[in-house]
Amino acid sequence: MKFSFSWLKEHLDTHLNAIEISEKLTSIGLEVESFNDASLAFRDFIVAEVIEEKKHPNADKLKLCLVDTGKEKVDVVCGAPNVEKGMKVVYAPPGSIIPVNQMKLKVSKIRGVESQGMMCSEYELGISDEHDGIIRLDDSVKVGSSYAEISGMNDTFFEIGITPNRQDCLGVNGISRDLSASKSGNYLRKEFSKIDGSFDSPVDVKIEDQVMCPAFASRYIKNVKNCESPDWLKSKLKSIGLRPISALVDITNYVMYDQNRPLHVYDADKINKNIIVRSAKDKETLKALDEKEYALSKGMCVIADDMSPLGLGGIMGGESTGCSENTTNVLLESALFDPINTAKTGRKLSILSDARYRFERGIDPLSVIRGIDQASQLISEICGGEFSHTVVSGSIDDTKKSFEISVNKINKRLGLSIEKSEVIEILSSLGIECKEAGEKINCVIPTWRQDIDCEADISEEIIRIKGYDFIPQSNIRSSKKINESILNYRQKNLSKAKRYIASLGYNELVTYSFANSKDCNFFGNIDNLRIVNPISEDQDILRPSLIPNLLNAIKKNQSRDIENFEIFEAGSQYTSSTPGDQFNSVIGLKSGINKKKSWRHAEQQYDVYDIKNDIVNLIDYLIPNQKKITLDDESPEWMHPGRSASIILNKKIRLGYFGELHPRVIKSFKIKNKVNAFELFIDQMPESARKLNSKVDINLSEFQSVKRDFAFVVDQHIRALDLEESAKKVDKDLIRDVEIFDIFEDESLGPNKKSMAIKVTIQASDRTLKDNEIQDICSKIVKSIEKSTSGSVRS
Amino acid sequence: MQNYKDLEKNIEKDFSSVSSLETLQEFRLSYLGKKGKISLLMKELSSLDADQRKENAEQLNILKGKILELIDTKDNELQELILNEKLETEKIDLTLNVESKQGTIHPITQVIDEVIEIFGDLDFFVAEGPEVETDYNNFTALNTSENHPARQMHDTFYVKTETDGMPNVLRTHTSPVQIRSMLEQQPPIRLIAPGKTFRCDNDQTHTPMFHQVEGLVIDEESNMSHLKGCLEIFLKSFFETSELKMRFRPSHFPFTEPSAEVDIAYTRKGNQLIIGDGKEWLEVLGCGMVHPNVLRNVDINPDQFQGYAFGMGIERLAMLKYGISDLRTFFDNDLRWNKHYGFQPLNTPSILRDLS
Repeated sequence: MKFSFSWLKEHLDTHLNAIEISEKLTSIGLEVESFNDASLAFRDFIVAEVIEEKKHPNADKLKLCLVDTGKEKVDVVCGAPNVEKGMKVVYAPPGSIIPVNQMKLKVSKIRGVESQGMMCSEYELGISDEHDGIIRLDDSVKVGSSYAEISGMNDTFFEIGITPNRQDCLGVNGISRDLSASKSGNYLRKEFSKIDGSFDSPVDVKIEDQVMCPAFASRYIKNVKNCESPDWLKSKLKSIGLRPISALVDITNYVMYDQNRPLHVYDADKINKNIIVRSAKDKETLKALDEKEYALSKGMCVIADDMSPLGLGGIMGGESTGCSENTTNVLLESALFDPINTAKTGRKLSILSDARYRFERGIDPLSVIRGIDQASQLISEICGGEFSHTVVSGSIDDTKKSFEISVNKINKRLGLSIEKSEVIEILSSLGIECKEAGEKINCVIPTWRQDIDCEADISEEIIRIKGYDFIPQSNIRSSKKINESILNYRQKNLSKAKRYIASLGYNELVTYSFANSKDCNFFGNIDNLRIVNPISEDQDILRPSLIPNLLNAIKKNQSRDIENFEIFEAGSQYTSSTPGDQFNSVIGLKSGINKKKSWRHAEQQYDVYDIKNDIVNLIDYLIPNQKKITLDDESPEWMHPGRSASIILNKKIRLGYFGELHPRVIKSFKIKNKVNAFELFIDQMPESARKLNSKVDINLSEFQSVKRDFAFVVDQHIRALDLEESAKKVDKDLIRDVEIFDIFEDESLGPNKKSMAIKVTIQASDRTLKDNEIQDICSKIVKSIEKSTSGSVRS
Repeated sequence: MQNYKDLEKNIEKDFSSVSSLETLQEFRLSYLGKKGKISLLMKELSSLDADQRKENAEQLNILKGKILELIDTKDNELQELILNEKLETEKIDLTLNVESKQGTIHPITQVIDEVIEIFGDLDFFVAEGPEVETDYNNFTALNTSENHPARQMHDTFYVKTETDGMPNVLRTHTSPVQIRSMLEQQPPIRLIAPGKTFRCDNDQTHTPMFHQVEGLVIDEESNMSHLKGCLEIFLKSFFETSELKMRFRPSHFPFTEPSAEVDIAYTRKGNQLIIGDGKEWLEVLGCGMVHPNVLRNVDINPDQFQGYAFGMGIERLAMLKYGISDLRTFFDNDLRWNKHYGFQPLNTPSILRDLS
């Protein structure tokens, strides 16, 4: 909401200056968003007269003018088509700052001729978009006078944010009323002279639905002249960013901003007999004043004549009955419309208008008659005309809300101890009538405060006017603990996981919870993940997996010449768009070069084993004790079928996957290198009833250990685990460790064969093993592996 | 006896020509080896009578001791020389570097962890709720009826599922967690709820997804002065300053009454914002006393219980504290940005040690 200081002063007798008013506004909840002292911005601009005008010697479109500034006569080069001799203009001398671009004007040569300053357009002064020509001032203005003064720009302009509850401050009148409550001056209630009607309105207004439209006041005015508005009115509207149109339209806009009272004026000659306020019918249409055609539907409130809708009640008038310069007879409307219905209709049709904005927030019912009176007075002054009697169809409900409040409870809510007398003083200043009833006060709420409904609302009014600064600061630390724990098991795991993974060299990314459905073919059914109104086509579903977003991140970074990636994200994935159908996943990706080729070593690419190590270590970090991790071949579709596996915890819980991403996936994202990934379903981590802190006993043998190497020729499909398990089961106590240290394939081994070498560590906990014991174990190991793998030991 | 004097001279003479570990070894063998001069003389002693044997043995042992000492000293000397020569050849170029990989924690995670640390110390537990919400939890239960003008300010994303005939939404704020928590738990309640929130808005200063943290305290006595006290501790701890000018301004949220917005003072020094003091104000959060209608909606008696709630933007906190100037960069996933603004994984916020 924009307004000027001078406009405010029409409603408020104040001794405060603009800065003080600005601070006061913010402190009572009318937050000043911008504050502009135009008298400073326009300080340098003066009224001047063009006394000579001739063609520029070196340019066809430029003119060379001699300008009288009141003090001196200067040469000014001007390109405006409308400049002419004798014209009064706005002159900006060298050194002044042009508001629209904040450029400081200098004496400069334009096509070889020196120009001392410039003559300005409204655009250059930042007061409108008009830049086709320079401003032509009225002939009566005095050369040399300050432009700010003669234009009414010698003013301060405020723009305040009005929260949705404060409908009463959507007019300058209401803002002044609120300021006066905060002791910023005396509220001056404007009174309007009643213009007596001399005949009965020939247009009959009938309300079919009194819920949609409780009241409709109207007045017929004959023989008006819809002229251009006088300067004072035009400059008022311009000062708040509105474009003057014609006197009738300008007057309704002015009343709306002055009194928060939306009005409408119909060209009465275009109304087909009578007015009916009714619900729209399906398939009816309306071409509104914004020149758009709207398809109406049942339940929307229309103002119609006998033929068709003329306007949308409380939202926007129609084009067909709009006023033009030829309008001579008009119907003036001042009505009440239901806030909810207005909001619904406006939302359905996506119409944002000043009227809708006000009606959906609730309008003071008492403004109906005041509005029609104020507009009548202005129309009579500016446009003339003969007025009918004012007719009110429906009824204006001016019942005031009332309820009891307790001063103690208000103090308990605010943490203050305000005396009852002060409470009454503040409330009275806001127009709330107070009647004492013991400790309690009965409050009668004025009709303009539609937002005040209960004691809590009153507490806000009190502290708002008294000042939030009066609230002390109390200690909130309590000796009694409320919560057993701050983070639950799952939250702790997620937090620990993030920092652990980062410690392994991964960079944490946060990607949008949306995904592009086209990227998600690999990730199951996505139909139930669609967003009805996505922000863009490539973010049209909830992400079924973090993978597509992470791959897009790789792709994007690839285009910035980054080719090696260690990235992860921990966040939610969705299984449907039903609340709760989401779970946390931790996904890590490694791609590209692990170790660069350098003076120290050869290049090494990331592979599946790097990522396997990371997820196994991560699980080990999160569940250090009493767990068994195994692999199985099952893995998601988006992974390479031969290079991926699931991780199974304690034979039951599928905790996640790791592997190389499917080449098809990589290709579809246009990624250069192989990508290795792990996914941990962190919410699946089982929580034990008691945290298992104690570790299993450790057996630290002091006796000598023996290491023996073996190599076997086995079939291609034999896995490392097969050899390890086969060796270990020979003697679980004595065989401490089995490690694969070499694998190679060679034609000499035979078709589909490979050689695998293991190093076995043998150690007893109670004695040094004798040669024959060791020999015995070794031959058992050979036998066991040969049997289980159908392979043979290499000698 | 004369013999020994000569012998001593010979020893000194022979020793003076020792110049390497090899010649030192030769020297040792020539006197102390099996057939060395001293060893042979020692053997001859057995043919002498006891007195003479004793006297000669004494002399020989003195000589032997002297030789051993000479050898030992020389050996050390030579070893030292050799080592020094070796060290000289082992000199390497230490200006060479090897690669190291440092992972990072995203600023959003870091700031949420800081917030949790501060409020955890004040006995607020961390509550959560789903990111897809019912219309009821996101709006209606929070005293924002279907046609409330405040709804329009939310630019809500809708999904295709419904609850009780109303389309579900992506939560526009973390406030529905208040509703879920109050339905689950009776007062006293002290919680914060950090998480993702969504609004259909995308420009210089808005991203369609962002993060908030919600706070809620419900008991029999918490009032606006506690709210002020709570936020003062939080803001001072978070911005790690003992001086912090704070301003409460009346505002409006449908689910709190009275409502306030909180500004903190700052000074601009070049590109940097000095938070805590100055003439300019920065809005950091919204808060208020929970509206009695909200309590009624979750079956908490507003005549017995009251409390406060607050909400703030994580990205905004991060931008102010860590000098990040553009909101959109948080989700750009430009690795250069992540490595620059990200945090070391061991930098876990701590009340006892350092918050950041």
